[in-house]
Amino acid sequence: MKRLALTTCLVSLAMAGSLHAERFTCPVRGGDIVFGQEANVNSLDQMTSSTISTRNIAMNIFETLMTRDENNNPILELAESMNAAADGMTYTFRLRSGVTFHNGKALTSADVAASFNRYNRIGLQRSTLDNVAGWDTPDPMTFVIRMKRAQPTFIEALSSFSVPIVIVPSELENDERQQLRSIGTGPFRLLEFTPGSHARLGRYDGYKPNTAFEQRTGFGGYRVACVDTVTFRIVTEASARVAGLETGALQAVEDVPTRSLEGLRRNRAITVLPLQNWWIQIALPNVSVAPTNNLVFRRAVQAALGAEDIMDAATDGNFRLNIGFQYPNQATYSEAGRETYNINNPTRARALLRESGYRNEPIIILTNRDYPPMYNAALVMEQQLKAVGINASLRVVDWPTSIQMSQQLNSSEWHFFHSGWGTQPALGALATMQFLVSPNAAYRPRDDRDDPEVMAAWNDMNNLPDQAARNAAFARMQALVLERAYAYPFGALTKVQAVRANVQGFVPFRIPRFSNVWVQR
Amino acid sequence: MADAEDIPERRIHPARATLRRLFRHRLFVSGFVLFGIVAIVAAAAPFITDVDPNRLSMRNKFLGPGGAWVFGTDSFGRSLWSRVVWGAQLSMLIGASVVVLNAVFGTLIGAAAGYFRRLDNVLMRVNDALMAFPAILLAIAVTSVLGPSTINVILALSIVYIPRTARIVRSSVIVLREMEYVQAAVAAGAGHWRILRHHILPNAVAPMIVQLSFLFAYAVLSEATLSFLGVGAVPPTPTWGNIMSEGRDFMREAPWIITIPGVALMITVMGLNLLGDGLRDVLDPRLRIQQ
Amino acid sequence: MFGCSAELIRLAIRSLFGAIPVLLIVSLISFGLMRLIPGDPAAAIAGLSASPAQIAQLRHDLGLDEPLIFQLAQYYKGILQGDFGRSLLLGKGVLPATMERLPVTIGLSMYALLMTLMIGIGCGIIAALRQNSWMDQAAMMFAMIGISVPNFFLGLLMIILFAVKLGWLPSGGYIPFSQDPWGWVQSTTMPAFSLALLQAGLLARITRSSMLEVLRQDYIRTARAKGLPGRVVILKHALANALIPIVTVVGIIVSLLLSGAVVTEALFSLPGMGLLLTQAVLNRDYPMVQGGLLLVTAFLVAVNILVDVLYAVLDPRVRYG
Repeated sequence: MKRLALTTCLVSLAMAGSLHAERFTCPVRGGDIVFGQEANVNSLDQMTSSTISTRNIAMNIFETLMTRDENNNPILELAESMNAAADGMTYTFRLRSGVTFHNGKALTSADVAASFNRYNRIGLQRSTLDNVAGWDTPDPMTFVIRMKRAQPTFIEALSSFSVPIVIVPSELENDERQQLRSIGTGPFRLLEFTPGSHARLGRYDGYKPNTAFEQRTGFGGYRVACVDTVTFRIVTEASARVAGLETGALQAVEDVPTRSLEGLRRNRAITVLPLQNWWIQIALPNVSVAPTNNLVFRRAVQAALGAEDIMDAATDGNFRLNIGFQYPNQATYSEAGRETYNINNPTRARALLRESGYRNEPIIILTNRDYPPMYNAALVMEQQLKAVGINASLRVVDWPTSIQMSQQLNSSEWHFFHSGWGTQPALGALATMQFLVSPNAAYRPRDDRDDPEVMAAWNDMNNLPDQAARNAAFARMQALVLERAYAYPFGALTKVQAVRANVQGFVPFRIPRFSNVWVQR
Repeated sequence: MADAEDIPERRIHPARATLRRLFRHRLFVSGFVLFGIVAIVAAAAPFITDVDPNRLSMRNKFLGPGGAWVFGTDSFGRSLWSRVVWGAQLSMLIGASVVVLNAVFGTLIGAAAGYFRRLDNVLMRVNDALMAFPAILLAIAVTSVLGPSTINVILALSIVYIPRTARIVRSSVIVLREMEYVQAAVAAGAGHWRILRHHILPNAVAPMIVQLSFLFAYAVLSEATLSFLGVGAVPPTPTWGNIMSEGRDFMREAPWIITIPGVALMITVMGLNLLGDGLRDVLDPRLRIQQ
Repeated sequence: MFGCSAELIRLAIRSLFGAIPVLLIVSLISFGLMRLIPGDPAAAIAGLSASPAQIAQLRHDLGLDEPLIFQLAQYYKGILQGDFGRSLLLGKGVLPATMERLPVTIGLSMYALLMTLMIGIGCGIIAALRQNSWMDQAAMMFAMIGISVPNFFLGLLMIILFAVKLGWLPSGGYIPFSQDPWGWVQSTTMPAFSLALLQAGLLARITRSSMLEVLRQDYIRTARAKGLPGRVVILKHALANALIPIVTVVGIIVSLLLSGAVVTEALFSLPGMGLLLTQAVLNRDYPMVQGGLLLVTAFLVAVNILVDVLYAVLDPRVRYG
């Protein structure tokens, strides 16, 4: 409890910092930071890669027309203004002047058009542009997007940081998939990249901060690079990351194991920074086969689950109980369906189990060991189900196999699938709930036929013109999904980062942001 | 090198004399003792552990060695004593199975290749190809195809090692095939099967036994490596490699989780290596390494 | 000794032709094996945070829906043109990716080989010269431990001791030699040692026995009887002759080192061939596994041919044997 209170305190301090009226200036310039990153990076092509490890590095190099602020609201980045036509058929962007790429070339609308062309050709999330008819560059500073039909959620999609449409010089338009040269407009430029080992970034002295803001916020805002270089070093062993931080070989690390926290907190040379709401720990039933096709059985499981134990095992104690698919700091957050959460009532579970007519059929919990939290959560879920008399067992495969198995139509190989939803809940309700509709609804309805009421709520989330009405539709969809036990979200996982105490201004976010971070001497 | 004359001569040695020589051999005895301890612990697993190796006890996690838990507990509060002891059983099981599969298929393929010249080319090309792969990578690929499970680990390791065993059997068979007494049997019109069974294979047994004792060690090691890399037996199955793999994140704060199974692994492998050295010195003096 | 160089060349050429069917089978096995592995390469490459739609898009982009026989034909056609395909994961050609990573592994292996030779031959010679003394016992005990410690366990122990507890060496990561030679030594010493210990144990045992064999020979006794200093006898006569079996073993050791690098590189996060191929298998990066394995195998075959030729140079008898 104490730990949670401390975390809240840190977060609100950070908020207070960003509300400062004065514009940020580096208290100290210079210095080098080495960041110990957990996962391997194969490519820095931000248009064709959806992995978090790529984004960690690439989003310090590249920028977009629009991005998200600290609370995930869309904000302008390379554009100084955006006008949406009243009929929603055109969006006109006015670019900020004086912005240059790392190769010295000035940013014009031709670069934006070329970037959109490349994204439309090979961008991983190019379905974002499905409703777009085309784009024009009436003058070097103006970029216009023409729609085929109005899409109320277009700006939300355009500003997504999942696989963002990063703006690169026009001569990079024909770079091949995964081969985008790393020339952006961001505060850092790429000096050196060895896949599997490290990436070294240096301050871009020609960077023009976005003066529409006073401070850094989310992926954008007023950003300045204070340090000379930042090296992202791949250190897969958690213990090695902690050791590196302690010896000063690393100045910042991600994903600190809970066991190491106590020692680190006592160490005055180190600041521990928990990043709440990293992902939503979740299990999904397979609705296409018996007995998980039976609502009463799924409710029995729901009643048997205790979120505290599951989250405790999954995260080794670093978690926040959380209802549904959004986080409390988001405008879309809703507690609809809360009565289904963390019931932990074996008596009721047994009663429901009897009612469901369950006859000790084997129940297979599908999980993977590439992501320990998912494996750990499944292990505890297995115990909780066994405790109420369900004949549950684990099926542990690797991540790619578990995804393939979980996406198979009418599969009879599994009943519950464990996952973690990270980027999508952070992006908002729309990005998250796409997991629960065809063609890949995670609860695997028989023959891919969605629950019509869930589908109706989803359509409202997408098509209602008014934001408040769309949010209400989300709450309705969440309640339906939870009441019909199409998903069991267990809570929010906290990812702990830590820095050397002389590294100042580092606030954990969905990527490690190194602008507005300085090294105290 | 090929003073193979002493091979038929050894056949007249009574088995008891060989055994006596073995048990007078210092290396063999120390290997026998080390390996024997592990084997006994493995066999006695149900009797010397009272906690299910997979039972979670979240309140008792990360207890150090000593005290009621003997070896302490891991990150889920599972008893390390139980896990390591049952892990010994799995290691023995996997090692023994790989040895048996190798003895059967390695002998068959090796003897066929060594005896029938026409088969030799085809079999040995496939053999060479399988041996050309880095062993661990081939094992990873095979377990990925078959899916992670104890049985599939046994199959994968057999696929990796059978070509090596076959090669050794083949070379013994090629030497023996040219021996005069075998040629005499051929001239006397004995059938292939009869020659193989009565004249060749019994004399190829000694190098085989030596090879298989080392193979046991490799199999135990490789299984642990596969589990450690996350492609071996499915967790939470208590294999030594799995225990170490799960303990990796805690090696700063709870080093015993990886050290205890690691030392157990080392003792087993060392026991088998000593055993193999002893067997080689006594059964196959041509290859003697230590006096 | 080098008079029969034409014969040596013939030996090399014969070995090269012998390698062709092996490489053909290797390529077929790796192609088939990879297609049999369940699991979606797109899911693996897209990572945790991808949405189902993104994974579907990626699957389409990677051309994973083409028929198998077509993919196989493309593969062989490519190889004949020197094109080993394009890695799904890295987006670059298999050949350039291999060329990028191979130096790391070769550097590591060479360093480990150096350690192996120094420790292995050193221990072996000492043990042979002081046969049955405590030094012999100690050296052979050391060799026995060496061949019994799993290299990942040794690596972990070293990380705990030298990186975590003492902080002397980095626990992972790679610094290229060209960038910072001292940094390279620091970043590769632990991995190289964890690789070398096993092979050093093997080599020490073999060196000892072949030295003992040679020391018993008449001409050594003669040399000693003639009153030549002990060191000269050892270096000039005994070691030179003991070298023959050692060279063969070194050939085996090189391939074992490359194989061991798979585990070591994963443990120490070294961006070498072993890590590349492991990642490729686990991520279902078909072209990378196929092409990479073929290239690595070709490399190993080349090393073995080299060893055969060297062996023939050192020991003319084998050519007629």
